[in-house]
Amino acid sequence: MTKASRSAGLIWLGLLAAALLIPYGFAALTGTPAQDAAGLAGWASAAAAAYCAKGPTPLVWLQAGLLAGLAAASLAGRRLGAWAEAVAGARGGYLTGLAALAALPFLIAAVTNSSACTRGQAFFWQAIFVDVFIMAILAISYNLMFGFVGVVSFGHAAFFGLGAYSVGLLMEHLGWPWWGAVLGALAISVAIALIKGFVGLRIRGLYFALFTLAFAQVFFLLAGNRLLVNVTGAEDGFTFAVPDFLNMTKNRLFFYYLGLAAMVLAFLVVRQLMRSPTGRVLVAVRDNENRAQMLGYNTFYFKLIAIVIAGVLAGGAGVLRGLSLKGASPEVLGLDFTMTPLIMTLVGGQATFVGPVLGAFGLHLLEDFLRDTVVTVAGVSINVGERWALILGVIFILIVIVFPYGIVGTVQNEWRKRRARRP
Amino acid sequence: MRPTLRVNVFRQSLIVSGLFVLGLLVVNLAVFKPSTVAVVMLSGLYQGMLFFLIAAGMSIVFGLLDVLNLAQGAFFMLGAYAGFAIYGALPAGTPIEARFLAALLGAAVTGGLAGALMEVGLLRPLYARPVYQIVMTLGLSTALNEMVRAIYGPAGLVPIEEPPALATTFTVLGGQFETYRVFIIVVGAALMLGISLLLQRTRLGIIIRAGVQDSEMVQALGINVRRIFTLVFALGTAVAALGGMTAAPFLGAYPGMGTDFLLVAIIVIVIGGMSSYEGTAVASLLVGLTRATAEQISLQYFNTPILASVSILLFMVAVLLVRPTGLFGRE
Repeated sequence: MTKASRSAGLIWLGLLAAALLIPYGFAALTGTPAQDAAGLAGWASAAAAAYCAKGPTPLVWLQAGLLAGLAAASLAGRRLGAWAEAVAGARGGYLTGLAALAALPFLIAAVTNSSACTRGQAFFWQAIFVDVFIMAILAISYNLMFGFVGVVSFGHAAFFGLGAYSVGLLMEHLGWPWWGAVLGALAISVAIALIKGFVGLRIRGLYFALFTLAFAQVFFLLAGNRLLVNVTGAEDGFTFAVPDFLNMTKNRLFFYYLGLAAMVLAFLVVRQLMRSPTGRVLVAVRDNENRAQMLGYNTFYFKLIAIVIAGVLAGGAGVLRGLSLKGASPEVLGLDFTMTPLIMTLVGGQATFVGPVLGAFGLHLLEDFLRDTVVTVAGVSINVGERWALILGVIFILIVIVFPYGIVGTVQNEWRKRRARRP
Repeated sequence: MRPTLRVNVFRQSLIVSGLFVLGLLVVNLAVFKPSTVAVVMLSGLYQGMLFFLIAAGMSIVFGLLDVLNLAQGAFFMLGAYAGFAIYGALPAGTPIEARFLAALLGAAVTGGLAGALMEVGLLRPLYARPVYQIVMTLGLSTALNEMVRAIYGPAGLVPIEEPPALATTFTVLGGQFETYRVFIIVVGAALMLGISLLLQRTRLGIIIRAGVQDSEMVQALGINVRRIFTLVFALGTAVAALGGMTAAPFLGAYPGMGTDFLLVAIIVIVIGGMSSYEGTAVASLLVGLTRATAEQISLQYFNTPILASVSILLFMVAVLLVRPTGLFGRE
């Protein structure tokens, strides 16, 4: 470890410790119970709540400053020159996008002249963006399997839906605390992924796709059946109580940042994985599995790693979905939640990092913008919102036939061609 | 591959399937009254025939074109809607039998034409990209379902009248059974035999079977394989559409009606061995009987039909684990 990186690490740790201690100061200052304010999540939640209660108080400024300090410390770990270079390049795009998303609730509040904290336009859009973040995580997870490893899964909804169901069931029926339930739900995702992997990955290609389809369908049928009506509420689903700081209705601003942070985390996990040696092997499995085996890699083991990570990400998205709606119903296990991330991945560009995120943003926001639009073509009025599934289906077919690489892939190809032409 | 070996595997699978049916019968006899057993067996047969009508086309098309057509369920639905439209368009004075027959034929023709259109327009551009084909058929399935929902509304259409001769019930071993369901069994068995004869006894059948083995070789022999592809695809969708209309008198017609059947059809062809026609035929009956038995058991003991769907899913998983290529599949 070099000296520079060690000092950067120390700054990191110090800031993290300070950040973790803030909630106790906050609790002492305001008289709120410290248990909700404990930990990073509680800290951020308390900051959002404090902002909403009193506006930007000195405490909030302190917290924002600490956050900025954390970011600066992480950047100080790199050489400044390399950092400036990165900002100008692809990473600059990511950072700009992230900054824009971080500022978005306040921008919308300013533009629509509403508050970021109470019912109104800004509040409404925060909820939509939380949905977008969740779908983006699901699409990122789908892309890991479909785009990078080349495994077609028609049962991704099983991870997503079980995440939503298990977090609720653990909290409501077993009385677990929120963090226990979240960890439990993620552990269930890992278990499901392992079962799917050990049983399913031995059968190749199409058979795996059909196996996952059947697998997801079993859970869909079980969730909607009246056999377990006292537990799952059958076709109506069930609702559960969440702690105040995780409550979308009460503390939405925080949930917005939670969703954003989760999406960034999922993005980074997949990007780091695919840039690691493991990731290179995964791509080799996609391109020519026999050859990867000949080179001495146990491809089964690598595919298992990928499916577990994809499963945890999709399960995490499901957990967020369950928490944000404070409930779950069988539809989260249905075919729609396999199809939608697949379409998002294809539209955005499979096997690219930003592709699925762009696809999720594009399709989800388009749907919301066009919800009440009525288009009249040749005397026939079409309500776009009602016919969204049909429009999506047609977009889907067109993309598959005309733009197989999606938005990002097509742009990248064009860009590369142009660069190659230049002397 | 030596032909004798193939025959042995085939005979083995057939014996296993026979034993399985026998086992189901024993379970039935042990659990239910004789009257219930008869009804369960008949209803297993009629369900199996419906599954066969969807799965047959999928399996032959998969063998020949290497495409799993996930839109096959949508063609099932399309057949029902086309049949309803034709039934309704004929003047009220026409005898019901004639209207019904016209609806059946019209459904098959519509399904065939739509299938041919899909093969030429949407599948052909994708032959070089196999993964995209299956993804495209899934998208088409959604689009067709939604199109029907947009035109006819989400509620679906009320079942049409069946011909009076078939609208009766009869008694087997003291159990009531609808004559119309026997009609479905007859239609299914006739098509099963008809397609089998087509495959085994005609020139087209020889070409199709050869194409399943190696379509490039068939092309090298100077046969326009692309045209055969279109023809077979259209035949498959026509049979599925006919199935949709056959089921319409008691199912009605509603958007998404094919999706449930599609899932079962997938299970059927996986159990049967993907591209094996005989496998599909046998597996559809096995699945039908299993489903009917499990449904009756769970209705009797748990008061819900949950086991009906779960049992066949487990059946598929079990087959995949023991024989990953399905009962009649090639190694």
